[in-house]
Amino acid sequence: MTTRLLALGAAGVLLCFNAWAADMAIGFTVDAVTLDPGNYRARDTETLLRLMYDGMTTHGPGMKVVPELASGWQQRDPVNYDFTLRKDAKWHDGSSVVADDVVFTFTRLMTPGAINGQTSPRKDLLGPLKSVQKLDENTVRFVLDKPWPVFPTMLTFQEVIPKAFVEKVGAAGLATQEDGSGPFRLLEWRRGEQLVMQRVGSSCIDHLIVKVLPENASRVAALLAGDVDIVNELPVDAIRQVEANANTKVVAVNGTRSFFVALNNTKPPFSDARVRQAANYALNKQVIIDRILRGRATALNGVLSPDTFGFDASLPAYGYDVAKAKALLAAAGHPDGIDVTLDTDGAGKDMAEAIATLLTQAGIRTKVAVGEATQVRARWLTKGAREGDMWLSSWGNGSLDPIDIFDPTLHTGGRGNSSGYSNPEVDKLLDAADTETDQAKRLDEYKQAQVLVNRDAPWIFLWLPQDIYGVSARLTGFAPSPDGRLNLRDACVK
Amino acid sequence: MSFPFAMAGVVAFVLIAVFAPWLAPHDPAAADLFRRLQPPFWLEGGDLSYPLGCDALGRDILSRLIFGARVSIFIGIVVVALATLIGVLAGLAAGYFGSWVDTVISGLVDILLGFPYLIFAIGLMAMMGPGIGNIVLVLAYKEWVIPSRVVRGETLAAREMDYVEAARSLGASSIFILLREILPNIITPVIVVATLRIAQVIILEASLSFLGLGVQPPTPSWGAMVADGRSFMLDAWWVSTFPGLAIMLLVLAINLAGQSLRHGFDPRSTT
Amino acid sequence: MILRRLLHLIPVLLGVTVITFLMMSATPGDPAEIMLAGQNASAEQVASLRRDMGLDQPAAVRFVHFIGHALEGDFGQSLFQRRPVASVIGERLPATIELSVAALLIALLVAVPLGVLAGVYRHGVVDRLATIGSLLGVSMPGFWFGILLLILFAVRLRWLPVSGEIDFSAMPPRVTGFLLIDAMLAGRWRSFVDTLRHLVLPAITLALPMAAVLTAVVRASMQDVLRRPFVSFARAKGVPEWRVLVRHALRNAMLPVVSVAALETGSLLGGNMIVETVFGWPGLGRLVVESIFQRNYPLVQAAVLLYAVTYVLINLAADLLYMALNPRVRP
Repeated sequence: MTTRLLALGAAGVLLCFNAWAADMAIGFTVDAVTLDPGNYRARDTETLLRLMYDGMTTHGPGMKVVPELASGWQQRDPVNYDFTLRKDAKWHDGSSVVADDVVFTFTRLMTPGAINGQTSPRKDLLGPLKSVQKLDENTVRFVLDKPWPVFPTMLTFQEVIPKAFVEKVGAAGLATQEDGSGPFRLLEWRRGEQLVMQRVGSSCIDHLIVKVLPENASRVAALLAGDVDIVNELPVDAIRQVEANANTKVVAVNGTRSFFVALNNTKPPFSDARVRQAANYALNKQVIIDRILRGRATALNGVLSPDTFGFDASLPAYGYDVAKAKALLAAAGHPDGIDVTLDTDGAGKDMAEAIATLLTQAGIRTKVAVGEATQVRARWLTKGAREGDMWLSSWGNGSLDPIDIFDPTLHTGGRGNSSGYSNPEVDKLLDAADTETDQAKRLDEYKQAQVLVNRDAPWIFLWLPQDIYGVSARLTGFAPSPDGRLNLRDACVK
Repeated sequence: MSFPFAMAGVVAFVLIAVFAPWLAPHDPAAADLFRRLQPPFWLEGGDLSYPLGCDALGRDILSRLIFGARVSIFIGIVVVALATLIGVLAGLAAGYFGSWVDTVISGLVDILLGFPYLIFAIGLMAMMGPGIGNIVLVLAYKEWVIPSRVVRGETLAAREMDYVEAARSLGASSIFILLREILPNIITPVIVVATLRIAQVIILEASLSFLGLGVQPPTPSWGAMVADGRSFMLDAWWVSTFPGLAIMLLVLAINLAGQSLRHGFDPRSTT
Repeated sequence: MILRRLLHLIPVLLGVTVITFLMMSATPGDPAEIMLAGQNASAEQVASLRRDMGLDQPAAVRFVHFIGHALEGDFGQSLFQRRPVASVIGERLPATIELSVAALLIALLVAVPLGVLAGVYRHGVVDRLATIGSLLGVSMPGFWFGILLLILFAVRLRWLPVSGEIDFSAMPPRVTGFLLIDAMLAGRWRSFVDTLRHLVLPAITLALPMAAVLTAVVRASMQDVLRRPFVSFARAKGVPEWRVLVRHALRNAMLPVVSVAALETGSLLGGNMIVETVFGWPGLGRLVVESIFQRNYPLVQAAVLLYAVTYVLINLAADLLYMALNPRVRP
């Protein structure tokens, strides 16, 4: 067997051919579910589509919202936005991006049944958008139903598509073909394996190949072997290996996914705020950040990450304090500690076991229950049975605006309010901030809400991990972005 | 290789499993994040009190191996024994009686085989909740098909053999022919397959654990230990290698014992 | 007989479909919620997704609907890809078949000669090696062995690529979707070799446990057959030894091998999810497992039917082979 292998391998070496020097490859965790920019809801698909399609706006340096296909916009009043298109914007087939394309794109997203009878899964990302009108060849007006201050931010999530192309190939064609205005043009999509793209315009990259590599060890292997120049989701345990290799290095950026242990606020023992606070004091999260996450995470004392609008850096921290935790437990009527269960899926097993061990040492005797991800989530849905005690959970926030994370996870009845937390004061503040157009006031409302949540401790606040990438030493001009996008406009490989 | 030698190996594994609490140097569930991925004692950074090193949560790998023997041996042996018993009976019936018996059994087999294993696993775990009994059921449900197919094929051939014809013409009952004439003649491949399947079952348990459907923590199982350790293969090889070796040694012992045992069944055996 | 077996497909397919349906409807999880998991979404959005997915209908109605359309060859829309199930599955089939056939060939090429030698020269060196080899092979988890091969041949030695089916610069024009065949049709030696280089590691990983099991079966079966009276009889008649081995012994020894190989081939098609994940191989296994977790009902139903048909056909082929090898069997 071994000799067979060696012989085959040797034959491979002799016939090995070099990839073109100016080709760049990425090892990416998942494939796109579709190439239709209006017909999906997966963030990784968005990352891939953004290589080929542009939006009206995007995130610039420092996560500031900047125009992309637009040259700029004007907010006429709280509900009217006028966007002017860039004159030099071109589709990959050479024609210009015009107002009709924008109107077509957003009408398709908003109109029920517009995609072969299906409604876009991205419809509600546009919030109260009512209509899109063409003012002239290069100007469109977006009209909202009610004020929605995050509208330009939310536009970063939508890619503009060419009307003529979609009318020619139909929704079925758009699902597997591409004609965008982004930096890369699709050459071939081999489903589940790779996306091959060509750089549009002059650049030092000729082709970009996205290889689908779901297994962590294989993605790292591909980077170390020089098969790819970037890998996403580099596991923390591979950092040492990647740094030790002369041809690879690690780059990271603060992510946007907040981790927490949802405590069941609707049943004892965690219906008592003192027990929830005790749990926060009982967990030595710094030791987990240092030892397991290897320092690649920021401790949180609330729901928002430091880069998010409205983040309050002055929130009191729940430091590790076993005595205080035990006192709070005793005050709540549990002088001998409590016995609870921590739910998790397979992927979170190790972390859940670490958390359980640390909590147990501090009198919160925790058992870990591992289940299939979908089933565990179903049990903790807002409308689910919610019979468990604790759930190791997280919530992503690509827009870096509280509206996408604070409202769903902590507003009464919110979609992601797995802990069943309900505080009328918090609800009022969030509702007000939703439509507040005065940014200073909005900021203040979120800060007040954060103080309340911090005090009520509906969760064990955990951390915000960094998004870690492994890159090859020959790569230049790439910096990871907090929104998870791969901005490769200036990327270069030698 | 002699029977006592092989048997001693299996007995040793069973004894380790039984006396795990007395043999293990540490609590297998006691995590110590400061010993995370500590190497075995002979490598730099190792420590003799954790001779085989520590896993990702700083738990003693040796202790986890000793306790893991309980789960892995139990699952491996119970599942294969159950599956072989059912499979042999079904295969004999299908091969010997033919006609509608064969049709029904083969139909059932085809339905089970045509059915992706994971759907059944997820469905059963969802309906009945996690637990070691359910893991045994999930693993055994398809496992019995393998011996049944082998036995059916062999029985089809054996049915026409002279010695069976002879027994039949002497008026022997079907049960007698099946158990006394056919079974001993077809048992060889069955035992070979069964001993090899034990390893497969232990490994299958690993993939269940990987999907969050396996043995609940903190109970260690060898399969899950290998699965968990695969992310560290480049960096901390000991996490998945030692449980992998344990599986291999167990399989080796069971297999050698099985080979020796076979001679007891097999009338034609000469060695 | 072939016709009868094909008719036999009908109850099998029906049984498989019903069991799948019962299982999936008894398992908690809502695909619309899964699609929107961890994201903010309005109630209206959830409702429109559920409508598009057909989830506003009771499960039983959806089932009847599925059966009705499936009979016409329409398996509906895949809930996440939002394209027809038939094309989503079809895109993955060639890679799955190529990998499975390669693994089967490797397994047989290793197992049959090794098993026969081990069986004939009992307790010889080959026998010992084969025994230990198959024990090692069967007790090594696929993902572990696969990653080991990756580290050795792709990272350390750099002889073979880490992932995928083919290098983009070597892609042949698409005709059949089977890269090896397309490469030959286009007469591109380079494409052919590149495909083989990508195929080696995943195929060996997949073949290992199968080769291990088959070696053990061939060996045992060969030893068994060689002790049977008809072999001694043939020898006594003065038939040359090679003829005894090939015509009499091997032929009979292959009977259980055919059964086991058919079984293992069947499980190859469904069981290669781990290998596909490790090597980024665009096969069906990974897609189906993902679909189960996403509760992508139409895709799972269709894939299950496909597996069932394949099983029945493989077993039919195995039975025909069985008859050819052993003319006394008349099922």
